[in-house]
Amino acid sequence: MAETIEPSAYFFGYIGVASAVVFANLGSSYGATKSGVGICSMGVLKPDLIMKSVIPVVMAGILGIYGMIVGVILQGKVSSITAASASKQGYAYLSAGLCCGLSSLAAGLSIGIVGDAGVRANAQQDRIFVGMILILIFAEALALYGLIVSLILSQTS
Amino acid sequence: MNWGNPYDWTELEWQSATWGERFMFIDPYFWSYFGVALALATSIIGASWGIFITGVSLLGSTVKAPRIRSKNLISVIFCEAVAIYGVIMGIIMIGKVQTIESYPDDQIDECYTTALFGGYSLFWTGVSVGLSNLICGIAVGVTGSGCAIADAQTPETFVKILVVEIFGSALGLFGVIVGIIQCSGASFLKNCLT
Repeated sequence: MAETIEPSAYFFGYIGVASAVVFANLGSSYGATKSGVGICSMGVLKPDLIMKSVIPVVMAGILGIYGMIVGVILQGKVSSITAASASKQGYAYLSAGLCCGLSSLAAGLSIGIVGDAGVRANAQQDRIFVGMILILIFAEALALYGLIVSLILSQTS
Repeated sequence: MNWGNPYDWTELEWQSATWGERFMFIDPYFWSYFGVALALATSIIGASWGIFITGVSLLGSTVKAPRIRSKNLISVIFCEAVAIYGVIMGIIMIGKVQTIESYPDDQIDECYTTALFGGYSLFWTGVSVGLSNLICGIAVGVTGSGCAIADAQTPETFVKILVVEIFGSALGLFGVIVGIIQCSGASFLKNCLT
């Protein structure tokens, strides 16, 4: 006789899928728009630096990709929840989605604010470019940490 | 009271139920995995908060004093360490969650209370680690920002303010130490035979 699967497992699992995508995209959009405003302000007087200054926008865009990756992986896992440990898997996938989503949100906030300040400062002082890139890399790594833990959590059975 | 099936509880029994009896029907796995998410997510929010607080000051001050750029990246690295504390604790906590295969019939209440103990201890580990790393990230960010601005004016002040920053980063370490002790006692299977 087939065991019935605890229905709340799907509820929490799909909350995880949604939160991974939604929060990561929130972070990505904040990063892109905040640095974008800086680029537009800076570009008025230094149009040659615009293409170099688009780097924070690209790094913020990557955060949305992290959210999408985790969302797709979790969606596949939630659809195939086994009956034996259904509720455990449901909560684990909720946790995975929250980890990736909120980490990417935090990273996006950081990338946006640092990118905005960085591109404006870069327009005034050439030597700042390397420093800005280093700080942006540290901020991007935060989202990577969330992605790693999400992928570990998505492997629970 | 005899717990039995909560769907069979009468109104009177619900009125006399303790806090434990009201919360016990929330799955212990929910508490443990939510604790993992809290530990990681709030640590990383703290780290990112610190990075942008210090990063903005660093970039602004470097415009007029380019020499401070490389030295003050250490403040950003201190903030990154806060995120790594969160990752370490998250991975430790994931390893603590044990699957409960089945309960022996005569021990359901003891086994379930052990599972609840495991769940609650992981949740509150997540809260303590996460919140202390959040505060630590902000502290390191603010002191790092002051460090960059002061260094731009007077190079001698860099090391002195860095000492303050090191004290600030110890806050996250305290949270990790307490968290490790908290979750080391978490056991889902302690009194159960399976």
